[in-house]
Amino acid sequence: MKNVDMGMHVRGTSRFVDDLPTPAGCLHAALFTSPVARGRIRSLDLQEMAGSPGVVAVYTHRDVPGLNEVGHVLHDQPLLAVDQVEYRGQPIAMVVAETWSAAWQAAARGRADIEELPAVFDPREALAKGMIHGQKRILVSGDPDAAFETCRHVVQGSLASGPQEHFYFETQRALALPTEHDTIQVHASTQSPGAFHRHLAEVLGIPMHKVELDIRRLGGGFGGKESTAVWVVAPAMAAFLLKRPVKLVLPRNHDIATSGKRHPYEFDYRIGLDDEGRILAYEVDLLQHAGACADISLAVLGRSFLHASGAYRIPNIRVQAVSCRTNIPPNNAFRGFGVPQGTFAIEAAVTHAAEVMGVPAAQIKLKNLAEDGDVLPFGMVLENTNSRRCWETLDARVDLAGRHAAVAEYNRTHNQTRRGLAVIPVCFGISFAQTALNQAGALVNLFVDGSVEVSTGAVEMGQGVNTKIQLVAARTLGIAPDRVRVHTTNTSRVPNASPTSASTGADLNGMATKYACEELRTRLCRYAGQHLGHEDLEQISIRDGVVHLAGKPTELRWEKLVAAAQWARVDLSSHAFYATPDLHLDPRTERGRPFAYYSCGTSLTEVLLDCVRGTYRVESVEVVHDVGRSLSEVIDRGQVAGGVVQGIGWSTVEQLRYGPDGRVLTGANAYKIPDLKSLPPHFSVTLLENSENPYAVCNSKAVGEPPLIHGLGAYFALLDALRSVRRDKALPSLPLTPEKVFMYLHG
Amino acid sequence: MTSFVLNSRVVHTEQPPGTVMLDFVRNASGLTGTKEACREGECGACSVLVGSPGPQGLVYRAVASCLLPLGDVQGCHVVTVEGLSEGPLTLVQEQILEHSASQCGFCTPGIVISLTGFCLSARSFSFQESQDALDGNLCRCTGYVAIRDAARALCERLEGVEPDPAVRVATLVEAGVLPPGFLEVPALLEGLENPQEPPVAGGAPPVLVAGGTDLFVQRPEELLEAPLEFLSRHRELDFIRVEGGVLKVGAAVTLEDFRLSEIVHRFFPSMREDLLLHSSTILRNRATLTGNIVNASPVGDVTIMLLALDASLEIRTRSGQTRRVPLSEFFQGYKQYDLAPGEWIVEIHLPLPPPGTRFNFEKVSNREILDIAAVSTAMRLILAPDGTIQDLRLSAGGVAPVPLLIRGLEGFRGRSPEGETAGLLARHAVEAISPISDIRGSATYKKLLMGQLVRAHLSAEVLS
Repeated sequence: MKNVDMGMHVRGTSRFVDDLPTPAGCLHAALFTSPVARGRIRSLDLQEMAGSPGVVAVYTHRDVPGLNEVGHVLHDQPLLAVDQVEYRGQPIAMVVAETWSAAWQAAARGRADIEELPAVFDPREALAKGMIHGQKRILVSGDPDAAFETCRHVVQGSLASGPQEHFYFETQRALALPTEHDTIQVHASTQSPGAFHRHLAEVLGIPMHKVELDIRRLGGGFGGKESTAVWVVAPAMAAFLLKRPVKLVLPRNHDIATSGKRHPYEFDYRIGLDDEGRILAYEVDLLQHAGACADISLAVLGRSFLHASGAYRIPNIRVQAVSCRTNIPPNNAFRGFGVPQGTFAIEAAVTHAAEVMGVPAAQIKLKNLAEDGDVLPFGMVLENTNSRRCWETLDARVDLAGRHAAVAEYNRTHNQTRRGLAVIPVCFGISFAQTALNQAGALVNLFVDGSVEVSTGAVEMGQGVNTKIQLVAARTLGIAPDRVRVHTTNTSRVPNASPTSASTGADLNGMATKYACEELRTRLCRYAGQHLGHEDLEQISIRDGVVHLAGKPTELRWEKLVAAAQWARVDLSSHAFYATPDLHLDPRTERGRPFAYYSCGTSLTEVLLDCVRGTYRVESVEVVHDVGRSLSEVIDRGQVAGGVVQGIGWSTVEQLRYGPDGRVLTGANAYKIPDLKSLPPHFSVTLLENSENPYAVCNSKAVGEPPLIHGLGAYFALLDALRSVRRDKALPSLPLTPEKVFMYLHG
Repeated sequence: MTSFVLNSRVVHTEQPPGTVMLDFVRNASGLTGTKEACREGECGACSVLVGSPGPQGLVYRAVASCLLPLGDVQGCHVVTVEGLSEGPLTLVQEQILEHSASQCGFCTPGIVISLTGFCLSARSFSFQESQDALDGNLCRCTGYVAIRDAARALCERLEGVEPDPAVRVATLVEAGVLPPGFLEVPALLEGLENPQEPPVAGGAPPVLVAGGTDLFVQRPEELLEAPLEFLSRHRELDFIRVEGGVLKVGAAVTLEDFRLSEIVHRFFPSMREDLLLHSSTILRNRATLTGNIVNASPVGDVTIMLLALDASLEIRTRSGQTRRVPLSEFFQGYKQYDLAPGEWIVEIHLPLPPPGTRFNFEKVSNREILDIAAVSTAMRLILAPDGTIQDLRLSAGGVAPVPLLIRGLEGFRGRSPEGETAGLLARHAVEAISPISDIRGSATYKKLLMGQLVRAHLSAEVLS
């Protein structure tokens, strides 16, 4: 089944926050932000801003009615700066005006007298100065020191990966409407209904039951709308104080300049292998460039940390991970959530080792591929991974050895152009690593006409979660999907919801929906039994909208069943709750089972390099990925392809540049995301056949993030092509922009 | 007052002519299907179709509405996604749906518009042209695989449909690409095509707007207040013709019309591909060659090409006289050029290439399409009958404060273009440039790259 919103998308009738009819008297909020990366605020001069045409109000931290705090995990992020600023772009004041342009023009007239303080933009410098968020995490498994002694081959190196701007098409925004009894209703573009609900209440200084947060859909999120509540809370505060509707819509370049990104990392790695190419030992230091506030960085770091061994079996390992506090906007979640970075380090280490050993990297990868029964560094035993089956399925499709031979031959006979290949195995743990977040609620209402309305905590942002939930409900109730409508995500219908994140949206909310529908089905079948004079409930079922008795259809159809049940005083509304079982991670020992299961896949990427100009194109990507028994193949294929393309962007052209003063230099006209013409001419997605997954709803597997890792293939295939030209240089950092490729070749 | 047809109804508005169409359709007309995602023409989410009256009826083009001034659509038909959604799904919408080529949906209305624009303006319904038509539409989710499949299927469905411009609209209504309401539009437009009101005498001189694709990125607030004069209304400047061994291009000619012109193609065959490296379809449909010149960006793609081609400019002075300036002498410093207030460039003149001419354009940018070059360079080489260099012109973008013509190449005349010439020319070029380090690349990179691109100019491929 296709995404049910598409019929509206193609007509332009689907509504996003800024498409809701603007309420009469609606005002617009804009932010005046810090012009320096770090400093002490001596004074503010907001006279000119306040006197700007159309301005209705100007607010600073003094006006915050409740708590001036939006830190997502730690309390280290004020909504509006008090006496110091820690990054360029940090909100200092809010201006509210009659129109959007009046508000932003006024915001540009804010002035602050700030005593500039030395700022830090380098994570290593931050670490040396002790500027870190939280604590360093250390995970040791086996005896890496002793193991390195026995290794035939040991290689080490340092490497870095860059930031990635989300570039969700719909920038950060919210519309807040004051309602009666000092309550407030907020329509926002956020992935975090529960957490933002709490932030709203805290900042307004009112109980959560006076705040209703409603989310219809997002024009893309990718993690960027998970943790930073500023842009939702600010207009709500203005609306609350002014008793008028207030909307905040970030201009694109303001969004790019002040919002968080995928974290850049620096890595120091050492890997040791025996003569047969078995990885015996690996150690890696992960330095995360987090930015000024902790935001969600420690959770991201935790995932990099838990995925340091990538897709490989590594008996002896030492992982050290630290989040460095620097003076850039706080970085946050981005599809993959630290896993792409952790995977990049181990993939680079394995590739580097293979090169030194003079064997194909794919050979080392296959030999060490983690499989069912292998134990991960934190003690979790892998099961139901299908990792080898993914590899073998890919091999059968593409003939890995043949492709490698063809590329070697091409490179032997060509000098102006070269080709490169990379096989990337993906092994991605599914569940929030923070066990508490693995919970979801669903509210299912049946109406007397037989129509069904489902509410969950899941947020639709193009990933098709609502369609999947609709399918789960229809399948569980035994009716056609078009009888089911998935309602908006609303904190009054499903409270305290976890963010739609960690690829778990359908897993958690789908399961809660299934439970609620099962309860309703039980009630209806019990009633049908009475109605039909049949006592054995086992014999009664609902299929295709008809009550069946012992497998045979009866005269009792769905609409009649529901209406009659209501008349017989059967409760037609059900709330259910799901908490993923058996998850735990001991923070003291770093041992446990933090994930419900693993999502695996393997891909082959091929690039063509123009050695004269340093330009390149990704010629083909062939992916095999395990999505279990797919709830919707078209949606899952779209998720796989979309993730891969985003990963290719991160690995190649997406380059954010900062000035020496911490200013983001790359706005929309310079930060380039992949376009249609850069799509590899050959792109195939194969969903692994005959895969079952008892750990998620209807035997499916999560699909949102894991495929992004395949995009690393673009980096490693390019590296392969570059190494065929010369090997006298260190591995370049990611992304491999045309400039970096050129300088590797000619610099 | 501006009058035009918006979807299927006539609109008269007193909003300032510098209001961008995106704001007009979303805020004043409540048509929220058109999405804003960048406001700089970078993403395509806000694309609309503009049908302008031409000799064979309305000529439709997809353009970025965030950079389209309201005043420039006087007498035109503007179509938003709602204008394609008045009945059953169109063929384009159906194919997007069929191939699941939409995820979050924010880019989708722009994709629908650009693919419909392709149907309305393509020379043939070929898959390659459909991809060119989507070069300015980004999808972050990113559904390109499905979008490509949808475009391919659309082309297959249009197989056998005749892309005759004279009956294009009727044909596409028949094929289900356009709603039948399109046929009623010419009647609605009758009487609306007034010439623009002359600027108020004695007031501030109007700002001359060509395509506006850069002006409305740089100074939107200022243009909202200012009196504007639209070059597109000067139909007499919309021509491409050959006269006396010179290709003359009127100031109002858009880049896309220039790219697809058969006359241009006859004399400068590589332009059709080369100009695909300039911005994107939705911008080229508005942007002009003259706009690219007076923008005076040191890295303007068209300017770099025209410099190598020995273009000159015909400028109309305030007194109505004309004067000629070689393009190579037009630029005087960073964003400084030889054009007095009130003067206009009215024509661009390109000498027709003599036999033995080779033209090559090289551009390297971070992303290949819709990106600003780190370095661009063009070469015009005229070979004598004996295969030696008779004349050589070389230009370079992104490496100096102005679009640069590299001088002092006379010494290369009489040499063979092969062998060590490429190396010598590369060294000469690298010494002539003074790039700075910026977001497009380091100075070292640009210097080394310049050398490589000059070598590429004299590659066997170009010389053959």
